[in-house]
Amino acid sequence: MSDTALSAPREAAPRAAAPRRGGRGSAWSRRRDRRGLWFITPFMVAFGLFTVVPLLYAIYESLFTSRIIGGTVFSGFSNYSTVLTSGPFWGGFARVVIFGAIQIPIMLVIAFFFATVFDLGVARFGRLFRTIFFIPFAVPVVVAALMWGFLLEPTYGPITHLANVFGFSGTNFLSSGLLLPAIILIAIWEWTGYNSIILYTALKSVPRDVVEAAILDDTPLWKIVVKIKLPMVRPAIIMLIFLNSIGALQLFVEPEILSYQGGSITNTWTPVVDVYNTSIANAQYNLGAAMAVVIGLVIIVISVGSLLFRRRSGELA
Amino acid sequence: MLSRSRLRGPRRATKRQVTGRVTAGLAGLSAVALLAACGGSSSGGGAAPASTKTGGSSASPSASVLAGGASCSSSATKITFWAWVPGMSRAVTAFNKSHPSICVTLENPGAGLNEYTPLSNALKAGSGAPDVAEIEFDELPSFEIQKQVVDLTKYGANKYQNDFVSWAWQEVSQGSAVYAMPSDAGPAGFYYNSKLMAQYHLTPPKTWAQFATEAATLHKANPKSYLANFSATDLQWLLTAMAQANAFPYTYSGGSKVGINWTGANQMKFASYWQNLISSHVISTVNDANNSPLPNQNLDNGVTASSPLNSAWAPSYFQPDAKKTAGDWRAATLPQWTAGASVSADWGGSTYPVFKQSAHPAQAAEFAEWLTGSPQAWTILKTSPSELFPTYKALLSDPSFKSLKYPVSGSSEPNQVFTAAASEIQPVQWPPFMTEALNQALTTFQPVLSGKETLQKAFQTFQSQEVSYAKAQGFTVSTGG
Repeated sequence: MSDTALSAPREAAPRAAAPRRGGRGSAWSRRRDRRGLWFITPFMVAFGLFTVVPLLYAIYESLFTSRIIGGTVFSGFSNYSTVLTSGPFWGGFARVVIFGAIQIPIMLVIAFFFATVFDLGVARFGRLFRTIFFIPFAVPVVVAALMWGFLLEPTYGPITHLANVFGFSGTNFLSSGLLLPAIILIAIWEWTGYNSIILYTALKSVPRDVVEAAILDDTPLWKIVVKIKLPMVRPAIIMLIFLNSIGALQLFVEPEILSYQGGSITNTWTPVVDVYNTSIANAQYNLGAAMAVVIGLVIIVISVGSLLFRRRSGELA
Repeated sequence: MLSRSRLRGPRRATKRQVTGRVTAGLAGLSAVALLAACGGSSSGGGAAPASTKTGGSSASPSASVLAGGASCSSSATKITFWAWVPGMSRAVTAFNKSHPSICVTLENPGAGLNEYTPLSNALKAGSGAPDVAEIEFDELPSFEIQKQVVDLTKYGANKYQNDFVSWAWQEVSQGSAVYAMPSDAGPAGFYYNSKLMAQYHLTPPKTWAQFATEAATLHKANPKSYLANFSATDLQWLLTAMAQANAFPYTYSGGSKVGINWTGANQMKFASYWQNLISSHVISTVNDANNSPLPNQNLDNGVTASSPLNSAWAPSYFQPDAKKTAGDWRAATLPQWTAGASVSADWGGSTYPVFKQSAHPAQAAEFAEWLTGSPQAWTILKTSPSELFPTYKALLSDPSFKSLKYPVSGSSEPNQVFTAAASEIQPVQWPPFMTEALNQALTTFQPVLSGKETLQKAFQTFQSQEVSYAKAQGFTVSTGG
């Protein structure tokens, strides 16, 4: 602020300084606001054009029904009642919930393990390995799914060969029974590195003195990790659980790509696969829009729930 | 290696390239698949460099001008043309040369749905559609019902009627109107590994009853071998088989009425015939409707002895995959449901309509007519990499076409069988919602392949799914039969 205001004798200043300071302060903050606006404008324009407008358009579209015979008519919430009572749609939902319930815990345990190893500095070349573990995240999901599709391919896939060698002859990872485990495997491969980097960063922020105190107390290493570090990175873990859950609900690319490689993917395998097939192959864009809105609402509920949960447990101000 | 699949398209114009789930968004994937395909088959001839070029550039139509434009005179009438047949640019260049007042520009948005989706969007939007485009036989009614295609009789199409096999002409006609020019097709024949069949003293079956007996004989003699594979999820193929059995489930002749009958007597008889073979495990049930290379591998490594309802494009299509069995493959007339009959069916093929959005429908029609109904065009399109099998009678009766030899078929002349089959096809009436049906079939028929459900049960499920879709789309549905 102003040097004069600060250096002015306290006793003399208040009456004269207060209005002045107020005046300058508000002018300053108005100017600051405007400058800030310039910074957020590019984002807000993109956000408006590519998120808000399409969202509103999807809601608008979801209230109509377009038919080959009879054209487009306003149909109110009838698309929503179709979606809400669609067995296959909720079957797809159940599938991604199972997917998340298995994939997220396994991945987080592995990610926490690696993060701890890196954090403790017990591994040599830690930086190199951190980079290596992070690489799968940098591989586009389409490429990763294609690659795994070849690895799991039922006739010449090396992993299938391995399964045959170990006596599981006739294994087909892309058959309806093994497809979900196969995609869980792919997702774990893709996301563990990313999650472990976030956990590693969280572990790095655990105050040194706490750990040093524990060491001075002769606390065994496993206790430092499990009883001290793990509770202190709990906020990061909870955030990752919610982020990964939202990701799981939107599962699309892996099943879609594997379906070209022989995967037994049905049209309603996940909710987003269902939206895609309903809109593109069946040309029922309105119904697809209603499905997308329903999925969006479920994700909003999870996001708001996550905020409330984290606020209540004191992790957010 | 690319197999007969949704992504096979860029290599063949004849069969459905892209069913259900493929869209322009996955152009990258098809490019990858194509690269793999071309890597594996450079000696096969099917995937010439041109197909890489056409397939790889699919997502944006405007980004892949392949012929025309620069070489035309500035006063020429400009026509835009979408197609995905490899080597099509050669025909366009020839047309532009012999028709200096018209300038056709070829763009390739990708096969099947990669083209249909942007095409439908442009037609709905009212601008941006091409003047002429490649549309498969089974998809043409979907465009007719949107009233987006021009009746070509206004532009002299009728004078070509007798140049084409009659079923093809009927499938592009609705009453007195002609909505597209027919081009290529895939008459079906019995395509078999002659060495393997001879080893077990089997001859190409004359009837489906004989086929069933031979299937049992072969599998008993060699439990690792099957006479045939039955892929119920591949709806285009299934409908070919059903058409030959006089069990085609759809009737449609324009307007708002459609017949859907998957559960009639003929359909159920067809289903129980194949289900018996499936249940007794004398034929295999490998999914052929996706990108798995397995079906072609099985043909080549002796697991599958025949492709009982394969198409006229089978020799050139299977050629790159035939490594161990090259030279052994022969074509024979299809097994018949009634002894002594000779009924065939069509699997795939394309038509060329002119769209109402066209500013120059007369010139566009002239191009479509030249492309499908002139010896000049067929001289080009019959050769690699296009290798189209014609509905054009002059070429079908051409002795040099009939006697074409393919390395996969040794010294035999498979086109003798397929050109004869071309005139033994009964026309069918495609429903105006084939994309939905093809996509739904991928899911509904899957349990048949895994043995969890019978074909009869799947037909019943599919019947109710198709009826409810058609009703939701505003159609009056008749299910009689």
